[in-house]
Amino acid sequence: MNCSNESTSESFVPFYFPFFVMSFMPFFSTEMSIETLQLLVPLVPFIGAVATIILGRVLGSKAHIPAIASIAIAAAAALVLLAVEVERVREGTTVESAARPDESIVTLWQWAGVESDPVDHNANQVATRPFSIDVTLRLDPLTATMLSLVTCVGLLVAIYSIGYMHDDPGYPRFFALVAMFVFSMTMLVAASNFLIVYVFWEAVGACSYLLIGFWFQKPDAARAAKKAFLVNRIGDFGFAVALFLLFVTYGTLDFHDSLSPNGTILPGILGKTRLMDESGIIGGAIGTAVCLLLLLAACGKSAQLPLHVWLPDAMEGPTPASALIHAATMVTAGVYLITRTAPLFVACPGALVVVSIVGASTAMVAALIATVQNDLKRVLAYSTISQLGYMFASLGTGLALGFTAAIFHLMTHAFFKALLFLGAGSVMHSMGGVIDMRRFGGLRKVMPITAITFLCGSLALAGVAPFAGFFSKDEILTALRTKGWPDAAHHSSHESHAMSGLIAPRMHLTSSVESVTNVDAFPASLEALNTPFVWQILWWMSLITAGLTAFYTFRAFFMTFTGPTRVPHEAGHHAHESPPTMTGPLVLLAIASGVSGIWIFGTQSLSLFLASTPSLAAPSVAGTAVPHVFHLDLAVQGTLASLLGISIAAIAHLGRRSDGPHIERFLGPVGTLFENKFYIDLIYVFVVVRPLEFIARLLAFFDSSVLDGLVDAVGRVPFSLGRVLRSLQSGLLQRYAVAGVVGVLALVLALVWQLRG
Amino acid sequence: MRIPPFSSPGLLLAGAVTLTALALWLLLPRSSSTRAARGVGYVFGTVALVAFIMSGRRMGCIGDEVVFSIVSIVAVVSGAATILTRSPVYSAIWFALSLAGVSGVLLVLGAQFLGVATIVVYAGAILVMFLFVLMLAQPSGLAPYDRVSNEPFLSAVSGAVLLGLLSLVIGRMSLNENFSESSAFAGFVANNPALLERQLLQDDHVARLGSQMFGRHLVSVEVAGVLLLVSLIGSIAIVSRNTESQSKTLLRGGLRDE
Amino acid sequence: MNEASLLNNALLVGAMLFSLGLVGMLTRRNLIVMFLSAELMLQGISVSLAAWSRFHDDWGGHILVIFVLTVAACEAAIALVYVLGVFGRTGILDVAAWQSLGNDSMEKQVDRELPSVDTLSPQWPRLTPAGVQPEIDQNELLEREHI
Repeated sequence: MNCSNESTSESFVPFYFPFFVMSFMPFFSTEMSIETLQLLVPLVPFIGAVATIILGRVLGSKAHIPAIASIAIAAAAALVLLAVEVERVREGTTVESAARPDESIVTLWQWAGVESDPVDHNANQVATRPFSIDVTLRLDPLTATMLSLVTCVGLLVAIYSIGYMHDDPGYPRFFALVAMFVFSMTMLVAASNFLIVYVFWEAVGACSYLLIGFWFQKPDAARAAKKAFLVNRIGDFGFAVALFLLFVTYGTLDFHDSLSPNGTILPGILGKTRLMDESGIIGGAIGTAVCLLLLLAACGKSAQLPLHVWLPDAMEGPTPASALIHAATMVTAGVYLITRTAPLFVACPGALVVVSIVGASTAMVAALIATVQNDLKRVLAYSTISQLGYMFASLGTGLALGFTAAIFHLMTHAFFKALLFLGAGSVMHSMGGVIDMRRFGGLRKVMPITAITFLCGSLALAGVAPFAGFFSKDEILTALRTKGWPDAAHHSSHESHAMSGLIAPRMHLTSSVESVTNVDAFPASLEALNTPFVWQILWWMSLITAGLTAFYTFRAFFMTFTGPTRVPHEAGHHAHESPPTMTGPLVLLAIASGVSGIWIFGTQSLSLFLASTPSLAAPSVAGTAVPHVFHLDLAVQGTLASLLGISIAAIAHLGRRSDGPHIERFLGPVGTLFENKFYIDLIYVFVVVRPLEFIARLLAFFDSSVLDGLVDAVGRVPFSLGRVLRSLQSGLLQRYAVAGVVGVLALVLALVWQLRG
Repeated sequence: MRIPPFSSPGLLLAGAVTLTALALWLLLPRSSSTRAARGVGYVFGTVALVAFIMSGRRMGCIGDEVVFSIVSIVAVVSGAATILTRSPVYSAIWFALSLAGVSGVLLVLGAQFLGVATIVVYAGAILVMFLFVLMLAQPSGLAPYDRVSNEPFLSAVSGAVLLGLLSLVIGRMSLNENFSESSAFAGFVANNPALLERQLLQDDHVARLGSQMFGRHLVSVEVAGVLLLVSLIGSIAIVSRNTESQSKTLLRGGLRDE
Repeated sequence: MNEASLLNNALLVGAMLFSLGLVGMLTRRNLIVMFLSAELMLQGISVSLAAWSRFHDDWGGHILVIFVLTVAACEAAIALVYVLGVFGRTGILDVAAWQSLGNDSMEKQVDRELPSVDTLSPQWPRLTPAGVQPEIDQNELLEREHI
């Protein structure tokens, strides 16, 4: 099955893509091949970042120009690539009327390589395979989607930042970091090798660290940056171990298949050769361990329970950075990673159910915490965690629908959460840096554009039709219900049988290879969770979370924008609507939040498009695809939950002073629990921080007393010796002479004594 | 060869060395020096000197012995007085006397030229120079630091120990069987029959010395002459520099006075 | 004359002169007396050289003594010039005044009690009084103190 499009681009016709992309077409298509564009997307922001760093002082208040220009070029290139990819997929599907894997690979250079023994070359043996790490860029529907998302949201946020950061002393630094982040993130989603992904996984973490600690003079910001970095390390550790396991198991870290020097095909982990082979992906204990470690990595980056603690604190950074990194793009890297490695997860049902459990519980816990937060940005931060939990719950179903729903929700969430964050930033900007919702209210009169766009974002987040969140959330609920009530739809029971049929021989194979039984006990015990009852619980949790989401979103909206108008004294007399550079992106994002959902859902373009991603086109994943049906009952249930949440919020807060009595008064001790974020930070303090501190103190004591004491003693010996001997250096010439004479006499005496015979 | 009576040489030597050390220690200038202590020191010194004289050898001819004893006692006693007296002027004069004694010893040893040259060069030139310097630098004659000495005990003991060691070695060497006059001289003559005649103890001693110096050691003499010239020029250069600065200082002080 | 005995005795005299010179060099603090002690040591050496020369009936010792004399003269000339220079700077001939050779952090050694010069003031001869006491110029008396 020859399905590679690795040759350079044929002529392509943008079919239904927006016009402004078409305007770039002649400019690119004549001269530039697809490879060039693929390279351009990460390269230009990198150049922009470097240029901003170098020219920052010269440009001064115009330091945003190189960064924004470069991100704009990257966005244009990414959109062109998306158009190319859409066109390819459209051609492919019309020919074969089924999704087929589509990818194109550009190898830039070989980063590290070890030649194998050419004589005894065996592609299946790990030890004799050539080890090489190629810096390769890939293009497939998933990558194209993510690239467009990252660059477009990044562009909007960067434009917004012109207004938001305009008088900050670190103005050039901010834009350099944003451009650097866009570079890292595009490389992360474009890389076709686990190690390169890991490198840029760390790079986005570093950018995130630098942006959270952007105002490093503030102790809170520095502490938050440190916390984010440390918590992410835990996940990164999981990623690193997963890479080791993957390399030992598969002998390569490439996603794609590659040709060996002697012409044979070296299958990559997620290459077509392995995916089309029924036993290509290894399940069992090793596979489950790999999946769980990847899940740990994703939990760290995407702020899932129990590693979510860094994200709320990350709001100490500038609001545009929060919007870009900690809401729209970087935190979705975990979702991207699991989607990319979907075949690995599907081969391990035990790991899948863990993904869903983690996701659903995160969604619920974060939503509960968000209901009692008074800091607008923290409400949004917990909301982000909750929505990411949604995506994870969806990914955990292991259905093709689940994966595409997660990416769908990722996209819509990127739009409306960026919108909400930028709206919050707009509020914060005009309120003189105050973000506590109890200190202002009724701002709809002061800043009408912000209020309206914020309302759009809130409706989208709450999942009210026809805004974007409704559709993506509906798909997620559908996926979960398919797992929870398999008999409700006859096709899904059929699929689950087929899936178990696929998995069973593989399990048998692995267990025959590894005859140690207790190794298999561990994935088996996880698989015991994979029952419809568990999935039903998860579904109910998600539904409740939908209601909670609507509640806290509108609580925040009502507290901020309705009721009597109050402005904190920090704002002074210039409480005003934000400048056009800030409201412009808001409006654009509001439109995107409004229409993207219904457009994507209506055309089913996204799911069809993504189905051509090699990972999702694998038979084990693609086999679980269900026909697209709009479930009216589900839509009604979701909408009811949302409306219920909005109503409670309206009863409690609509038209009231935002510093009045609060919902947590009625919750009693439970409210205290929510307010203290389920004491998770406290648990960390007692379980991790305190013991580590104790050990550190112990070691510090050892270091300062024993080791330093030893060193000091070594130093003190010559010192005291010197103090004794120093008295000999009196500077009195004759004392020296006496010493010399006594010495000579001693020598002569010894000589005479020796010659006495 | 005869060992001094009533004592083994080692014991005599040890006693002499100890007494020398004590005498030097007692007589060296010191702030808390008393007349009694000095008296004890004189006694000890005298006894030590007698002991050293007794440890000397008989030289055969009593006249030689008497002359040698007198000149060597003059040399050693005035040498001791040189380092023990408090006034540097007296030191210099005692040193001159010591030079006279040394010159006598040299004469007894048959070194006529050296004996006279020592008197002429040292007493006539060097010592006079010393006195000039003293006159220039220390016209008041007495300074506090002349009345205390540095590490008197340790120095006296080490000097005495050195003396003891040297005496021990000298005595042991001359006690050696092979080191008798006859054997040494016989061997000497046997090896060099042409040298049967004595070289040094001749009437034309000075002439021979001169022919040696300006014959065999001509280059060394030239080098020594150059050395003298260099030191002459060097001391003039240093003095002129010093006097320059001093005269400047004086000039400044004088101007201030006016 | 017994040559070996003469050698022995002369060497003994030389050793004594050398040792006395050494003790003087080590103890006396006046620079000039220190140089006198050095000359004393050279005298001891000269005696020993002459004695050996006599014993071996060789001119070498004599020649060497002559060179010792030469070098001593040079040394004395240079050294005394330096002594004058030192005196010009410090106004003192004390070798202990040059303690800057020692460790900077150490306290300089200072003499506790230097005896006052008055304890040994010069004794001028007294003449028996005859006739009227002549008038003595006070300035002249002051001058005398310094002679």
